[in-house]
Amino acid sequence: MLTELWSQVRYRARALFRRAEMDRELDAELRDHLERETEKYEREGLPPDEAHRRARRAFGRVSHAKETARAARGTTLVDGVARDLRYAVRSWWSRPVFALGVIVILALGIGATSGIFSLVDGILLRPLPYPHSERLVQLKQAYPEIGLDSWALSNQNVAMYRDRVRGWQAFAGFHHGGATLMRDDGRPRRLGVERVTGDFFRVLGVPPLLGRTIGRSDDTPDPARVAVLSYGLWKSEFGGRRSVVGSSIVLDGRTTRVVGVMPEGFDFPRPWAQAYLPLGLDPTRRFGWFITGVGRLAPDATLGEVRRSSRLAMWHWATTMPGLFHGVKPETTRMTTLVTPLRDVLVGDVRRPLEVLQAAVVLILLIAVVNIALLLSNRAAGRAREMALRRALGASGGRVARQLLTESLALALAGGVLGTGLAYLLVHLVVHSPAVSLPRLGDVGVSWRVLGFTLVVSAGAGVAFGLAPAIGLLRGRASASLAGAERGAGGAAGRRFDGALVGVQIALAAVLLIAAGLMLQSFRNLMGTPLGFEPRGATAIALPLPASVYAGHDSLVVRATSEIVDRVRAVPGVSTAAISWNLPLGGRYNTDGFQVEGRPPPAGTRVETQTVQLGVGPGYFRTLGIPLLYGRSFDDRDEAGSVPVTVVDQALASRYWRGAEALGHRIRLTGDTTTWFTIVGVAGSVRDESASVPPRPHAYFAFAQAPSAQPMLTVRTAGKRGTVIAAVRRAVRVVEPAVPVDDVRPLSDWVGSSLDTQRITEVLLLAFALLAALLASVGIYGVMSLYVTDRYREFGVRLAIGAQPRGLLRMVLGQGMGLAVVGVAVGVAGALVATRWLRSILYEVSAADPVVYAVLAGGLLGVAALSVYLPARRAAHSDPLEALRAE
Amino acid sequence: MTGARLDLPQGTLDLLILKALSLQPMHGWGISERIQLVSRETLQIPQGSLYPALHRLERKGWVKAHWGTSENNRRARFYELTGAGRRQLERETEEWRRLTGAVRLVLEMS
Repeated sequence: MLTELWSQVRYRARALFRRAEMDRELDAELRDHLERETEKYEREGLPPDEAHRRARRAFGRVSHAKETARAARGTTLVDGVARDLRYAVRSWWSRPVFALGVIVILALGIGATSGIFSLVDGILLRPLPYPHSERLVQLKQAYPEIGLDSWALSNQNVAMYRDRVRGWQAFAGFHHGGATLMRDDGRPRRLGVERVTGDFFRVLGVPPLLGRTIGRSDDTPDPARVAVLSYGLWKSEFGGRRSVVGSSIVLDGRTTRVVGVMPEGFDFPRPWAQAYLPLGLDPTRRFGWFITGVGRLAPDATLGEVRRSSRLAMWHWATTMPGLFHGVKPETTRMTTLVTPLRDVLVGDVRRPLEVLQAAVVLILLIAVVNIALLLSNRAAGRAREMALRRALGASGGRVARQLLTESLALALAGGVLGTGLAYLLVHLVVHSPAVSLPRLGDVGVSWRVLGFTLVVSAGAGVAFGLAPAIGLLRGRASASLAGAERGAGGAAGRRFDGALVGVQIALAAVLLIAAGLMLQSFRNLMGTPLGFEPRGATAIALPLPASVYAGHDSLVVRATSEIVDRVRAVPGVSTAAISWNLPLGGRYNTDGFQVEGRPPPAGTRVETQTVQLGVGPGYFRTLGIPLLYGRSFDDRDEAGSVPVTVVDQALASRYWRGAEALGHRIRLTGDTTTWFTIVGVAGSVRDESASVPPRPHAYFAFAQAPSAQPMLTVRTAGKRGTVIAAVRRAVRVVEPAVPVDDVRPLSDWVGSSLDTQRITEVLLLAFALLAALLASVGIYGVMSLYVTDRYREFGVRLAIGAQPRGLLRMVLGQGMGLAVVGVAVGVAGALVATRWLRSILYEVSAADPVVYAVLAGGLLGVAALSVYLPARRAAHSDPLEALRAE
Repeated sequence: MTGARLDLPQGTLDLLILKALSLQPMHGWGISERIQLVSRETLQIPQGSLYPALHRLERKGWVKAHWGTSENNRRARFYELTGAGRRQLERETEEWRRLTGAVRLVLEMS
């Protein structure tokens, strides 16, 4: 049975691929038969030619026998299609511009759509790589009344939400940090670490690759010094040796035991997390809000339940903190917990931009499909005669339709292949571009589902539109086309349909152009927004002082940092340098409530407004380029023992005072109600979250009075950056060799990366909009060309009997521009509706910005006018003789 | 094009070919001769229709073909029955008998 099956397969394969050989065999076989038959008759005594004739008669028609024998092989359909395909390729080959046009349009449509949908699929739709990741949530707090729209958790908060909220399967907290790994050869390396509470890994549901993870036993105020390594660090620093588990490393100057290694691909909560350390949860620590909560809902719990339950827990907690809330009744405030599905947290900022791009590529695909419909139907119209002739010669309707279908499919296939390539290119560019920092980019790839879908849509469209004219052709018009002058298959009705398609295209292009224009304007506004400081020319260097030496020894910190700053300032090419807790756009902020002396909080609310607090050394404002408006900056007089001083910024000062009035007043912080800080200066406001977020109030403190062992050093260089940085490194090494100088970045990078998402959205959207405009103008050009070709003879005759070329030009222009104007009008109306949806990602641009609308609508009309002008000029120069000869 | 019609009931040619081959492998002309010999009086088969039928049988796997040498050293394509072909012949012969039997029965009754 099997051998039979095999022989059948062999037969079919041979029939398909060795057709020529089989044909030769058949010829030989039939010839042999005829020879034998002839010989038979000769043996019976007939003369040779009579014998041959008799043999032929007995045989029947040889050609028919061959044809049916071939058909009996069961491969005629394939053969026919192959023939059609060869014909199709030949036929497209003879009109390369047209064919190439269709292929390129299809490819762009497929490529753009598949590329963007792959990004959307990879970033927004794909589940996170954790079991039942839909049950993972992030928990933070909010108290909008005092400016805390997002408020991290304290140690006490974490323990409280873990124990009091109903609906958890597990709950944990973590916070980002750094740690210095001292290698055996004495070179330090700065690591990004996450300090996590005991249930962190249980929440995520990921077991370690080796050893164990951080566990509940590590949830003590003074945990054992253990570390869990990321796969990447294990490979790069420890050569992937299994024996590293159980061994000791030196982290922040202290011996730490490696207890486990996480599997490859585990990169929560951020891709550069290199090691996990116990946070050392201490439920009695009531202050210090820097922890992010992450929880896994129990299978039967809902998001709503956890939200309610956690809010109640927070309200209850607020009543236990009278010092903080001053008897505020939480139920009467907007104080709440923010429980957000983890995936939304990770992709939150890019969701809307990606959705906008997704909508844009759908429009592109639509335009591309409409364009191809126009091109193919026009082409079919031009071939009405050929088809009619084929019919007249006896080709069946199905045969002609199959021919048209094959031709459309050949184009769709070519376009699909090219489009797939484009999709890969687009995704590759986005994923590997250094300018792009989208979340979850690591394993975004071209999704086959998406690619398949777009291929099917485009091919389907090509087929449908290739066939539609065929149906018209087959129905009766054949004789007319063959007989007479009518060249357009559809005539007036067909032209109206084409006109409508062109109008639709222009409208869609207008929507896209306007959306892109708004984004562009928004981006320009963002780029043009003064940040309040000058990132260009400044370099930020992290200076993590080893905790084993410096923790708890503020005077050491102050001495070491001021020595480093002095040495760095002495480096040739360095114009200024300063130390600070952190920097604008660095993403780390300390905020606290503050109170102005003699000005109690507004009656009734009894809450203290939040301010960003930042310890900065002498020269900070000059180095960052922040203007000092009144008073003085910090200097060497501001020491640990001297009068506590502060510099506030304009955003804070203007709430209470005008101009220099602020100087001499005193403020205190909620965290330390005993110390009053005297305002000695007022600085300019800065936008330190992102260019699009308005400035928040800042209070600056003297670094010497409030030191940090993990400061940032900012260096403004006049000379060549590279050599200066090398000199800075040397200077740092002289003072404190245990400090890893790994994290060195131009401050402008920080600014740039905060604008990445906008930039990529804007660039892609602009590219798509230009593509749309191009496609639409090709569409209108094609239709108007056909229109002129159709009436070429008529125009010629008109000219011959005295019509003015100018009049003809105007007529054709009028026809085409009529379409364009209607299309643009519809598009503008559509844009007014569609761009409402853009509003949340637009910065200081109205979604109905009249300038953007006017400029782009006008521009599109201009392009349309150019596309119409070319055929119109041809009409005006019709040659009646040529037109008549063409018949 | 108009197809040359068989004067045989549909499918009968296949049966005849299978039957002819059941005795020994033969080339196309041989099969034709054999069938003509046996049925010259009653059946008119255009020899040309033999080959499509042979190819169809080959595709179905009931016969297989190979090039061989016939008498006086001429190359010819020989067809031979496969196992499946033999089973098919039995099946078709049985069906044919039942059909003709039934037809005869009906004709004799009326």
